[in-house]
Amino acid sequence: MAILNFTLSEEGVAVFHDSLSCMFKFSDDVCLEARKDKLTLTTLNSSKSAYICFSFSAPRFFSRYQFEGNAQYRERFFCQLYNKSLLSVFRTRQGGDQARDGSATIERCDVTIDDGPGKKSRLVAKIACRNGITASHSLSFEIKAPTHAKFDKTEAQNRWTISSRTLRQLMDHFGPGIELLDINTDDETRVVNFTCFTEKVQKRGANANEAVLKKPLHTNIAVEMDEFDDVQVEDKLHIIISVKDFRAILQHAQITSGELATWYSNPARPMKLSYGGDGILCEFVLMTVGEKDAMSQKHKNPRPNAAKAARPELDSVSHRDSSVTNETRQAQASAPKPPQQKTPIRPRQPQFEIRPQPMPPPASMRSDSLFVGQADDDQLWEPVNPGEDEDEGDNARLEWRATDEPVM
Amino acid sequence: MRFRTDLKNIRTFSKLTAALNSLERIAWLRLDDDTVRFTVIPDTGSQVWASLSAELIFDNYHLQSAEANNTINLELPLGPLQRALKSASGSNQANLRLTKRDGVPMLSMTIHTMTKDGAQDTRSGGGGQFGGGGGRGHARVSGHGYDEDLDPFDDAAELFPQESLELTMKREREKVITQDIPVRVLHPDSVELIMQPKVREPDVYIQLPPLLQLKAISDRFTKLALTTATTGGTRAAGASQNPKLELSANMHGSLRLRLVTETLDITSVWDKLENPELDPAQLIVPMNEHPSTIFKDAGANKWATVRVDGKDWSRVLSVGRLEGRVIACFTDEHALILYVYVPHFDDSSSEDVVTYYVTSYST
Repeated sequence: MAILNFTLSEEGVAVFHDSLSCMFKFSDDVCLEARKDKLTLTTLNSSKSAYICFSFSAPRFFSRYQFEGNAQYRERFFCQLYNKSLLSVFRTRQGGDQARDGSATIERCDVTIDDGPGKKSRLVAKIACRNGITASHSLSFEIKAPTHAKFDKTEAQNRWTISSRTLRQLMDHFGPGIELLDINTDDETRVVNFTCFTEKVQKRGANANEAVLKKPLHTNIAVEMDEFDDVQVEDKLHIIISVKDFRAILQHAQITSGELATWYSNPARPMKLSYGGDGILCEFVLMTVGEKDAMSQKHKNPRPNAAKAARPELDSVSHRDSSVTNETRQAQASAPKPPQQKTPIRPRQPQFEIRPQPMPPPASMRSDSLFVGQADDDQLWEPVNPGEDEDEGDNARLEWRATDEPVM
Repeated sequence: MRFRTDLKNIRTFSKLTAALNSLERIAWLRLDDDTVRFTVIPDTGSQVWASLSAELIFDNYHLQSAEANNTINLELPLGPLQRALKSASGSNQANLRLTKRDGVPMLSMTIHTMTKDGAQDTRSGGGGQFGGGGGRGHARVSGHGYDEDLDPFDDAAELFPQESLELTMKREREKVITQDIPVRVLHPDSVELIMQPKVREPDVYIQLPPLLQLKAISDRFTKLALTTATTGGTRAAGASQNPKLELSANMHGSLRLRLVTETLDITSVWDKLENPELDPAQLIVPMNEHPSTIFKDAGANKWATVRVDGKDWSRVLSVGRLEGRVIACFTDEHALILYVYVPHFDDSSSEDVVTYYVTSYST
């Protein structure tokens, strides 16, 4: 008897895939934790500044769910998987809306996990497609206890809730090249401000003047407090998080038209965001940037290394199971923090790496046909092969004359 | 130095910015009491002079400087401007002003806007699956009545989840978005020497066919040239160079686009195009001595030809998004100028022209 058996419906597969691809934006690995009543996926990014936890309710989310356990894993089973291989299993073969009717759509997916003495430690996913094809994927995993970020809700006295859809649309106003999002409130004008900026310092020198023009757009969005539910925030408190993380979260938050709730306390302390869907609860704990780092932005002469805003690591807790294997003990021992750790250790200041914003997809002609498409499509106006720098040919270029002399 | 204005015709402004941005990242903006002029001069590639009447894109336009006509010269990045205008499209109201933040000059765009589907925003978890907002709204309002008296529609009431009045009363609010575009204020002396190019009287005037069509075919030619350049092993030396397209026009309504490589020679011809009449009052030479008259008299086989860089030409043609009439002026073996007339949606009589000085190459 396998330790864990569950079946995902067509929609379940899509939601599962969305969850994994959201996590993939933070880390390459994903931890799976199964209990009788729920399945949990968690991940922690490499700089330990962002933690994601998706809980899937066993009776509500899955078409079938059976946690058997065994002598070793009576209460819960956990393992760590390589997200990329998981993603490819659940990826629908055809992209876009066509997939809805496409015959290669995954109709259902049966997942079995087995482990134990004398058994092969494998996650086996059997995919049944609409067109009758079935595929079986066998993935190996590592037995590793998940690391959970600790978040103390009693400490987080600041909170607000807003429609995730509204927040998502607001993010569309932020341009490329920005790194940090400052969320602050003003009691006087009764607004919550979302300010995007970057601390990246342009190289000074001969071209200092031109560098000024290379700064990204500085965007501020003021949202009336009345549009929030349950706003309770200390006046003028600035809390700063990574735009990239926030974008990734809101991208995923599209699965719900419901509310997104946040809790936070002070700079350099964690912030929690959460929203729920049908049978799924999504929680994120992000470490916020320290105030000192944020202040440097205000100075006229920012430090050259200010681009790397330091964010302390999240505190983590790890449950020790009574019946963990040797392997697990090793894994736990090598875990970043001992599980019993109660008091937060002095936060190290890892270099919080900010990856560059993805560039917009290269513009190209939709079709190679000579026939001309709809004029409404703005992409059609994009130049052919942009971005490729032109090389000066051997041909002499005719220069424009910018003089008043008549040319004949 | 002051500059403050409300924005109008944001769509046109945004399309112009996009067209300029495909050629160069940074533009020189010259503002004075009547005119707004964008100039883009790439290191290599075609240059653009877009001269617009202020009322085309601005409203309540206030300008003040120590220069004549209150001229202000700015240098600004087009990407951020385009991004800011995208935020402003569909807004209730937007304005632009020159300001300073942390001592750095900025063009600050303030936008009052709503989120798109705020009105239909169902505030229950997973509520998105249920149909339109209208039907749900009705169920909510009548919901309370069903609770009190036993209603024959009682069963139906369960189908429509009831929400508290407080939540449904929560209205979508206007958001205020501020987009700060970094700018550089230019000293008048530094721009004094930048002059619009002067060219001799053209040989051929012709109205171009729909630009989307012309662009699609030009791009196709350019791609073909790139493909043949990379597949032909012997052309390794030529592969590094951008393909050149040959453009010709005559005074009898024809435009010809041609690509010649070692392995292929393709031509597209448009006929029955218009050769617009010149206004004799504007000419410095008598009409019968004008080069275009000479070309016209020489017949349909007399072509004025220029060679353009395929990729640069593609960037130039992106001005088609402005949906204006485009007149091309050919000076045989010498130059190509495009005049793009910006369409007006109100009945102002002012003429707004975007002039492209297309980079051309000798054989």
